Amino acid sequence: MTRLRRDPRAERAAIQVATIHVAAGARPRYDRTAKGAAKGAALAADGRSRRDPRAERAGQRVPGANRPRFDLSQVVAGPAVRGEMPVVGESRQPAAPKIVVVEDPAFLVAVVPDAAGGRLSGHDRQVLGAARMLAGREGGVVVVSAGPCEGCGPAGADRHVALAEPGADPAARAAVVAAALEALNPRHVLFPESLDGGDLARRVAVRMGAALFDNAEVVAATGLVRPARGRRVEQRAAPGLLATVAADAVPDYGGAPREARAVTVETVPAPASNLLSAERIPADPATVPLALAEFVAAAGNGIHDLDLFRQVVAALHATPGASRVLCDAGLMPRHSQVGASGTVLAATCYVALGISGAPQHLQGIAGCEHVVAVNTDLHAAMIERAGLAIVQDAQAVMAALLGLLEQEAARHAAGDPASGDRTGAAS
Amino acid sequence: MKIAVLLSAGRHPVSGAAVLPRLEAQAIRIAVRLGEAFGVLDGGSAPFGLHAGPDAATVADALGQGLARIEHLVLPEGVDPVPALAEHLAATAPDVILAGRRGQGGGESGIVPYALAAALDRPLIADVVSVAPGDEAGTLRLDQSLGRGALRRVVVRGPVVATVHPDAPASLAYAFGRARRGTIVSLEPTAEPVAGPAIPVEERPYRRRPKIVKGAPAGGSAAERLKAATGESGAAASGRLLVDPAPEEAAREILAYLRRVGVVAPDSTRPNS
Repeated sequence: MTRLRRDPRAERAAIQVATIHVAAGARPRYDRTAKGAAKGAALAADGRSRRDPRAERAGQRVPGANRPRFDLSQVVAGPAVRGEMPVVGESRQPAAPKIVVVEDPAFLVAVVPDAAGGRLSGHDRQVLGAARMLAGREGGVVVVSAGPCEGCGPAGADRHVALAEPGADPAARAAVVAAALEALNPRHVLFPESLDGGDLARRVAVRMGAALFDNAEVVAATGLVRPARGRRVEQRAAPGLLATVAADAVPDYGGAPREARAVTVETVPAPASNLLSAERIPADPATVPLALAEFVAAAGNGIHDLDLFRQVVAALHATPGASRVLCDAGLMPRHSQVGASGTVLAATCYVALGISGAPQHLQGIAGCEHVVAVNTDLHAAMIERAGLAIVQDAQAVMAALLGLLEQEAARHAAGDPASGDRTGAAS
Repeated sequence: MKIAVLLSAGRHPVSGAAVLPRLEAQAIRIAVRLGEAFGVLDGGSAPFGLHAGPDAATVADALGQGLARIEHLVLPEGVDPVPALAEHLAATAPDVILAGRRGQGGGESGIVPYALAAALDRPLIADVVSVAPGDEAGTLRLDQSLGRGALRRVVVRGPVVATVHPDAPASLAYAFGRARRGTIVSLEPTAEPVAGPAIPVEERPYRRRPKIVKGAPAGGSAAERLKAATGESGAAASGRLLVDPAPEEAAREILAYLRRVGVVAPDSTRPNS
């Protein structure tokens, strides 16, 4: 292909401003903005246009993010000629959630969640994600829960079988679940490999006389993988009837919500229990090891009255913790130290009183979902980390907190009429 | 009161050397304590170990951990141990059978105690941290771990099978003299090996796989995964900041937050809560 030869003199003459008469000695004037257009037109005739990489980049920028994010899959429409506004890509609107319905599933994949307290745990959601992967487009995922269970649809369940609560005996629960599974006749059954789920899976496997592929770390339609012999080898097998799925191995279901249609199956009455009695003993927060504690309140260098701290901790029913400074000073026992060189917590909630938040301390609370910080320093790392951050003297806040809790306790002791009033008002 | 502890041929997770699995050592301690409570620490009725496999040398450590005798059922490699164990246990009829959660050296699926309990028609109590005699004669009181330090106290009558939880008390110290005095009795099982349900598997060297980072969006950037891993993305990203509130107000805010999270019991006396 031959290119047109440029004639710079003609181009220059074309952009010379014509309205101003060129007097002798007067300076010639040129309209430089017209040059681009003329050149653009000339080049468009040639089939080539000039790219404007800056405008294209600006057009690819995704609006509404703190960090500049670019959607590189987006092609900016039209040649971006200089001087034109860049074409801004349409921001992807979240479509209204449409419930996916599988009317007549080709086969079923059953999930038996722990569902403690009628809610799916994080591990249960991962198992549902694995089941959804096995079910694919044609199959249906059915949740078989002993007792009620909410939130199954968004987690990826097409059907939901809520069995009657069989009581505390796991053997009775296994009998009821096994009967329901035999009625449903699923192709695969997945359990979480948790304390309760693993126990239930093995009971069901023995009862059904089927092999159990336990602790699967990879779940795919092509095969399941589990570690064996002290993680020296891994065993791969095609998905069988029963399997348990390890924690944090499979992602949650991320697609559109499913319908979780309620299905009933013929149930058998739970067999008589061998247990003479079963009684739940809740953990004593004062003595439970720090690594196991659910709710930890910790003191740091911003606190000087540790007696008050202990009273607050006892009133909150929390487990006491401390920063390295207090433990080094001998003010708190070493086993209460939180952080990289102390205990790494698995708590749900952490209250940091007078702790600024050294990196090593923050490592210890990385797993805590909810953090409350009280500190005088606005710029402390703990204030940045906390879900509720209070810039105030922790000593004063502790005293106020203890006062508030004692007030409530006193009202509770004396004020049963108050709760009576409440029920009266409610009815 | 006869107490049996099931022993498996464990491997050290790092060195691969033959070692008694930790949970079985803890089970031995529970068995010894229970034997003391019933006064059957010596003689033929003392707690004994039971191992089914090709070689008993791998479980000889259990003698030093507190058992006086180990009964070894000689089985070739790769044979399902459940029929032989069930037959032997039905003959000896121990009142309590203790096991780890997952025996090592075989299939390692943790199903052997369950299959034994079904074969012997006994209740199985999982994840036990202590076993003690109950208030009534012939009953046992078992504490099951529910995780996070919570327990369920179960009272059962008659013989039981129990598996041990890692929260159980630490094992007894290894004693060389006791290990020398202890005996291992080899027995030939008479039960016909029955092929239990098994899955054909293909074995490869283990490959570590990345764990799912909870809370990170699918397809997110490395910075988002790091934020999710260090816990800065969840509640902390949308945190509330109160600068210099009155201490009383701060206390009310903290208490309301803790109640919303659910770690502090709701105030039952408040008229509008």
